[in-house]
Amino acid sequence: MQLTLEFGGGLELLCDSEKIHKVNVDLPNGVEELTMKDLLSWVRTNVIKERPEMFIKGDTVRPGVLVLVNDCDWELSGQLETTIEDKDVIVFISTLHGG
Amino acid sequence: MERGEAKSKKAGGPPRLCCICNEKRPVLKRPKTLQQICRECFYEVFEEEIHQAIVNNGLFKSGERVAIGASGGKDSTVLAYVLSELNRRHSYGLDLFLLSIDEGITGYRDDSLETVKRNELQYGLPLQILSYKDLYGWTMDDIVKMIGLKNNCTFCGVFRRQALDRGAALLKVDKLVTGHNADDIAETVLLNILRGDIARLSRCTSITTGEDGPIPRCKPFKYTYEKEIVIYPFAVSNPHHTYAYFKKLDYFSTECIYSPNAYRGFAREFIKDLERLRPRAILDIIKSGEDFRIATTTKMPEQGTCERCGYISSQKWCKACVLLDGLNRGLPKMGIGRARGGGVNGGDHKKETKAGSTVKTLETKQCGSLDF
Amino acid sequence: MACNSSGCESGGCYGREKDNGCKVVDVKETVRLCVKCKSNEPMTFGDGGSDDGRFCAECFRSNVYGKFRLAVTSHAMITPSDNVLVAFSGGSSSRVALQFVHELQVKALKNYEASRDRSLPVFGVGVAFVDESAAYPSLSGGMSDAIAWVRSTVLSLSPPEKDLHVVPIESVFGSDSVEARDRLVKLLDSVSDETGKEDLLLHLKMLSLQKVASENGYNRLVVGSCTSRLASHVLTATVKGRGYSLSADIQHVDARWKVPIVLPLRDCVWQEITRLCHLDGLKTVELARHPQSGINDLVSSFVALLQEENPSRECTIVRTAAKLTPFYFNKIPETDDSCVPMATQRRLKKFNLKYDGSMTTEAFCPICNGPLNGSDSSEDESDALYDACCSSCRFQILPQEPSSLDHFGSLLPHHMISQVKHHQKFDSQTYLREKIKDCLLLDDEEAV
Repeated sequence: MQLTLEFGGGLELLCDSEKIHKVNVDLPNGVEELTMKDLLSWVRTNVIKERPEMFIKGDTVRPGVLVLVNDCDWELSGQLETTIEDKDVIVFISTLHGG
Repeated sequence: MERGEAKSKKAGGPPRLCCICNEKRPVLKRPKTLQQICRECFYEVFEEEIHQAIVNNGLFKSGERVAIGASGGKDSTVLAYVLSELNRRHSYGLDLFLLSIDEGITGYRDDSLETVKRNELQYGLPLQILSYKDLYGWTMDDIVKMIGLKNNCTFCGVFRRQALDRGAALLKVDKLVTGHNADDIAETVLLNILRGDIARLSRCTSITTGEDGPIPRCKPFKYTYEKEIVIYPFAVSNPHHTYAYFKKLDYFSTECIYSPNAYRGFAREFIKDLERLRPRAILDIIKSGEDFRIATTTKMPEQGTCERCGYISSQKWCKACVLLDGLNRGLPKMGIGRARGGGVNGGDHKKETKAGSTVKTLETKQCGSLDF
Repeated sequence: MACNSSGCESGGCYGREKDNGCKVVDVKETVRLCVKCKSNEPMTFGDGGSDDGRFCAECFRSNVYGKFRLAVTSHAMITPSDNVLVAFSGGSSSRVALQFVHELQVKALKNYEASRDRSLPVFGVGVAFVDESAAYPSLSGGMSDAIAWVRSTVLSLSPPEKDLHVVPIESVFGSDSVEARDRLVKLLDSVSDETGKEDLLLHLKMLSLQKVASENGYNRLVVGSCTSRLASHVLTATVKGRGYSLSADIQHVDARWKVPIVLPLRDCVWQEITRLCHLDGLKTVELARHPQSGINDLVSSFVALLQEENPSRECTIVRTAAKLTPFYFNKIPETDDSCVPMATQRRLKKFNLKYDGSMTTEAFCPICNGPLNGSDSSEDESDALYDACCSSCRFQILPQEPSSLDHFGSLLPHHMISQVKHHQKFDSQTYLREKIKDCLLLDDEEAV
């Protein structure tokens, strides 16, 4: 499925300083729906080029990284359980940077 | 986001509605209240709370000239935007200015200053830029070349503080506002505990500081969560909004390349871990900071003026002049004094970062951006 | 700099001295000697500690004991006529506290026997062990073994003989053990916040120690909290918004309780304590406790991280908190001055701690017994329990549903509930006092 990933707040530095990534993600074998959990591990492998520990901690994003799915706080849609659909826009912003 | 509206099935079950208007789909869980609220209500409460903080603490008087310390980062950018909105909406009667300091850090500050210059046009606020080079004759790049990465943050912090005051004096403003948010203040409380600085611990939670000095400083974002400041630009897309075209506030986000201490990074991360576990903890830390029983005698020493530059100082010379004198005489260690006991300088940064290089780290909050 | 004031005196925190110490060693690499006695070979613990290889065993030991003794004497923690109860959990800190108190008692006994007039009596020592298995069912299995071990440990520390009191934590709910257990479980179940539950248990534990102490005629309760433990407490209290009451918790003496609590190991760090246990072969029992979770756990790992980065960090944290103004109850009440030796009185003067003299205005949270701040007072609440509690307990311990407050209150131990009633009475009294203040004679005038 086609997804738009946006990295901000300094996270773009972890993926070739590109803020917006248009990507094509295939469903993992035997899975019917893509969840954020799957997507995070996909992003970790395919998009993040350096210092993944700045993005991921344990099986979720590092505290201080905000996630918006279609401009909606992922805390409202079930965080890792949020299901992702074709053409969704997922935004990751680090709040750990300076102000 | 219109697309988003159609996708309310995501959460499963009947779609929940905004806790405030009970009409629209919520887009955000507020860390402060755990309420789930919609874009419009968020936009409303976010600005209203800042307005209340300003009114309840009597931060401004009508007719005052106020400088916004603008770094080009998210906090000061949102502050400049919200403050100019509130000034208009509630007729504060303030003359607002943007004040930026150019530390002279290639690849970091020059880029962020471009952002501030765009903000100047976007908000129509006059901008004043002061550089370390003009004020002190040294850029941070020069200083790092001379002293290396150890203690460079001491220079930067001392110089910036004074530079902001000088800029404010130049603009003839009555007040200086900075973008320090609740997370920053909670972090500062912790850092002051970790390093045993009781005098700063007693002051760091005040919404206004330096009332006895030449230019008082205040922090309208004292009770504002960083999460909301980061999300706010995404909310400012309200069609009847003055800046409707302004889908995303334009701000710059990269770390200072001469980034500093390990334990500041630890504290930052700790705050974020805490927020995940108990969002209210950030405000609780600020409450603790306000409630600490600190004897009034622990106040700072009496302020005089620096014999050299006339800046407020408790000593003969102010800290900046002492540091500057050391630099000019080729003895940069002078004035650093009992700098950081017990090796708190993160050893790792030294290896990775070279003076003038453009290595970027997002490990920690920009050093010296906090006004202790 | 890192550790002065009332904190780690005689070189407890070596972090800041590390540079100097290391240089000396570097220069004369060949013979390494104890930095204190300059004659014996220093010990190496190999635990990565900063003071590894500085002291010989004897000097190390006397250094730690010295800190204990200084704390005891300079704060009048234990005087000859006292009867002290040592809270013993089986862990390292309380094991060391028990050992040191025992050694102090042995010395006092020797002096007593050697003195001609035998005017100074030897203080009495008892030991209390709180059985928490009612709260943590996973403990039940090993509990009888643990108690047997505690019994033999206490027995090995005689003469002088020491009474052992094994206290079930549910005893604060009454003497009927089945009913008490039931109430404890119900109470804990009604607290939804994990951190709140942990903290409530700590409060109950203190309550049961106080109960056994006052019922058995003890006038001091020795708790083994060390610097490291207090450093964590400073941060957890800060994070929970308990900034006002924090300074009450980290002093050497805490006499807000019926039986004053003393912390003689306040100036010793955890590493010293575990090393001492190792050195002296002091056995400890680590009960398989419920793993900590939530805020308390997060803070512990944060402190551990900081400590690793700078070995004097814990001391600095406690030193910061020690600069906060203590409360009037943070010293042994001066009821019988005659028992406090002159030397101690002088020392107390020397330390010249600044106490808040406004002792009439303090009210306490019935749950955590923390002094209440003005900012804790709720505005338009009608519930007496909610009103009486501090904001931290309201948030993490009381039920969020106002309608459940009554039920929750009915589960609390009687002691806490009576505090609520006291609080109400107190409130109206202070209110009355405020109103008629101008008509009252000042205390000083009365005295004349």
